[in-house]
Amino acid sequence: MTMENRKLQSVAALESYRTKIAESQKNEYPVIYVCGGTPCLAKGSRAVTEAFKKEIESQGLACKVELRHKVTGCQGFCSKGPVVSFGNDTVYLEVKPEHVPEIIEKTVKNAQVIESLGYKDPQTKKRAASFQGIPFYAHQKGMILKDLREIDPLEIDDYIARGGYASLAKAFAMDPEKVIDLVDQSGLRGRGGGGFPAGTKWRSCRAIDSEVRYVLCNGDEGDPGAFMDRSIMEGNPHAVIEGMIVGAWAVGAHHGYAYIRDEYPLAVKVMKKAVEDAAAMGLLGRNILGTGFDFDIKITRGGGAFVCGESSALMRSIEGKVGEPRAKYIRSVEKGLYDLPTVLNNVETWTNVPLIVNNGPKWYRQTGTQGSPGTKVFSLAGKAVNTGLVEVPMGTTIRELVEKVGGGIRSGRKFKAVQTGGPSGGCIPESLADLPIDFDSLSKAGSMMGSGGIIVMDEATCMVDVAKYFISFLAEESCGKCSPCRDGLPRMKQILTDITEGRGKEGDIELLEELCDVLSYGALCGLGSSAPNPVLSTIKYFREEYEAHIRDKRCPAGVCRNLVTFHIDADACTGCTLCAKQCPQECITGERKQAHVIDQSRCIKCGVCRDVCKFDAVRVE
Amino acid sequence: MEKITIKINGKDIEAVKDQSVLEAARENGIAIPALCSHPEIETQAGSCRVCLVEVSQNGRTRLVTSCNYPVRKGLEVRTDTDLVRRIRKGVVELLLSRTPDAPVIQKLARENGIEESRFFVDEGEHYRNRCIACSLCTQVCEEVVGVSAISMLDRGRDKSPGTPYLKPSQACIGCGACAYACPTEAISMTDEGETRKIWGKEFKMVTCSVCGKPYIPEAQVDWIVKTTGKDRAFFDKCPDHR
Repeated sequence: MTMENRKLQSVAALESYRTKIAESQKNEYPVIYVCGGTPCLAKGSRAVTEAFKKEIESQGLACKVELRHKVTGCQGFCSKGPVVSFGNDTVYLEVKPEHVPEIIEKTVKNAQVIESLGYKDPQTKKRAASFQGIPFYAHQKGMILKDLREIDPLEIDDYIARGGYASLAKAFAMDPEKVIDLVDQSGLRGRGGGGFPAGTKWRSCRAIDSEVRYVLCNGDEGDPGAFMDRSIMEGNPHAVIEGMIVGAWAVGAHHGYAYIRDEYPLAVKVMKKAVEDAAAMGLLGRNILGTGFDFDIKITRGGGAFVCGESSALMRSIEGKVGEPRAKYIRSVEKGLYDLPTVLNNVETWTNVPLIVNNGPKWYRQTGTQGSPGTKVFSLAGKAVNTGLVEVPMGTTIRELVEKVGGGIRSGRKFKAVQTGGPSGGCIPESLADLPIDFDSLSKAGSMMGSGGIIVMDEATCMVDVAKYFISFLAEESCGKCSPCRDGLPRMKQILTDITEGRGKEGDIELLEELCDVLSYGALCGLGSSAPNPVLSTIKYFREEYEAHIRDKRCPAGVCRNLVTFHIDADACTGCTLCAKQCPQECITGERKQAHVIDQSRCIKCGVCRDVCKFDAVRVE
Repeated sequence: MEKITIKINGKDIEAVKDQSVLEAARENGIAIPALCSHPEIETQAGSCRVCLVEVSQNGRTRLVTSCNYPVRKGLEVRTDTDLVRRIRKGVVELLLSRTPDAPVIQKLARENGIEESRFFVDEGEHYRNRCIACSLCTQVCEEVVGVSAISMLDRGRDKSPGTPYLKPSQACIGCGACAYACPTEAISMTDEGETRKIWGKEFKMVTCSVCGKPYIPEAQVDWIVKTTGKDRAFFDKCPDHR
């Protein structure tokens, strides 16, 4: 078939095409999805795929194996990869090539579940091999991520077969204003961090008298440890595109850009192909589905600056100029890209739009809270037992996320805090862990939703060190345009470094607070004005830790090397020799079954001995 | 030109819609300190943050830079609240720690009650003489002169203006507009005999046929002749003897 005659000429043609491919995709056996997200690849998922392919070939089965590395990102449960699933409730973790023949025989051919390949509960030791039975998955709600596990993002047919692009038919049959009403009623708020109501943004943009308007997709996810938008773009690009088409129809735009950071080469590649395929099918370009509506999307690759995730800097960057924020006293919906009315939403926000149009705002509001409806995708990282890409309803408490989805804290230490919202966010202490995760509660607590990075911290995390880490990141990434951010952050970093290295003095906390105010009130853009959050929130909730560093020259968490010494408690030590074997300095000595001793003159305070000790015998003072 | 009334420090003043608060204030004799704004520039960058004022509009009060905040209906401006003073002082203290040798910054610091900065001073590689990286020089070069010989290089605290690859620029005409516009006199330009040195490049100057004073780089004359069609003979005499 040539490209040209693949074009769908009408909404009816899309529907009959959908029926046709759904029919042709019917399989005798279930599809085997082997996760190929980066963590699963590292844990050997490629060998697992090869083993499946070989086994299927040798048995002569008609069965499809998807290694989802080129294809989708993540099936979520990164810490227990490689993950294998089958498009139903069954899921296997930590699968190895030698498991493959058994899986084919039992699960693929005879629909039997192999419980031993499931999740082993660390407490009850019980096994579960289903999405419903594994707490990590069971407490999630897969509005966005479910499709990621099962759609081949390089095959537009796969997306269409599962109902893809159906929202276009609905939207095109409605007055654009009515589409905005839907989004408005759904209460959808921007997932990029700010939480601005999408409907309000769209309406203001539509209201501006202009021949040209733009819709943009922000795929410049740059927070350390965040990979939600990357996974969505890699895993379900057509959902992003579909959302953008609906948005374009609603605001009256005919041109769109997806701005994707170039450090995400796979996301760039997958999105590019998706745009080309959608255009070939007549879902982008001129006269979409014969409705007379024109809309195209261009992919712009980011140049590596964190600040380009900020809306006005992103727009400058698309224009080919240096990505620097501008004063937004006149908003982007009025003067955005090329000074024309522009709607910018992030990847996850756009992905929510088809769901709302297809199912209606009432359905959408069934999930989440009154003020923050829907779900939120997070990258759960840090000291939790289970980490990975997760999606929970808004309003889920921090504790539920950490303890149920995350399975609590690794190594049995105490849960201390979570850091949310990346460098613009803050640390929320365990004492506030019953706070629901939604835009307003997190802001009130001095953090923010951000794009969705969640870092779980245990009692061995030094909060001053955490603040120093984020401020250092921001000082590196400051664009340098305005003085508070450019000159303030290096000075905040210096004060924090002094505190963590034992040179802190009385008044440092107050000086930091003063500088924080200068940034909050005085910086030019949102990144600068939110930059103090890591410092302010840690001072607010962990002031005594700062004071211990400054007054007593002591790091209570045992992290800041200049301020701690490691000792082995002779009573607790069993002489197992594990610490001595792991010590990189080889400065731990002792006979087997005798208490061990650390040679302080050679100790580099790396903390390995404490991490490996099973008897809690290594003390930090 | 739509005239509207706004309030500055409780006083009604008449201003033009969309002009900047800074301009409106100055036209009415209300002083607001500022470094990087310039009337010849279309879009004020707002990077020095010294001209902060408090504005209330639509029930929302916040600090904004007066150089690029547009005058709109119902606007109330306060130029001297505690918050304005406190944040401006913080900004100036940071500028002082960046450029302790710049007389303009020293003066501003004194006016804001700062004896010396409590923060470390940029030294060595990062020590930028008197440059506050406000980018006014590059804006003037692009918008007013039209040659774009310099632009802002690098980012964060290393950000500074310069020519491409820090080599003598093909595009520079030696006009010195950047140096004249610089609020902190950070750009080095020297005229010795018939030679001007700026941005690492030497320019031969045209001499006035009356007083014999070298007064304009030849490259600048070439540029003006090329872009405006003006007669080259016009530049035989300096402005004082035309």
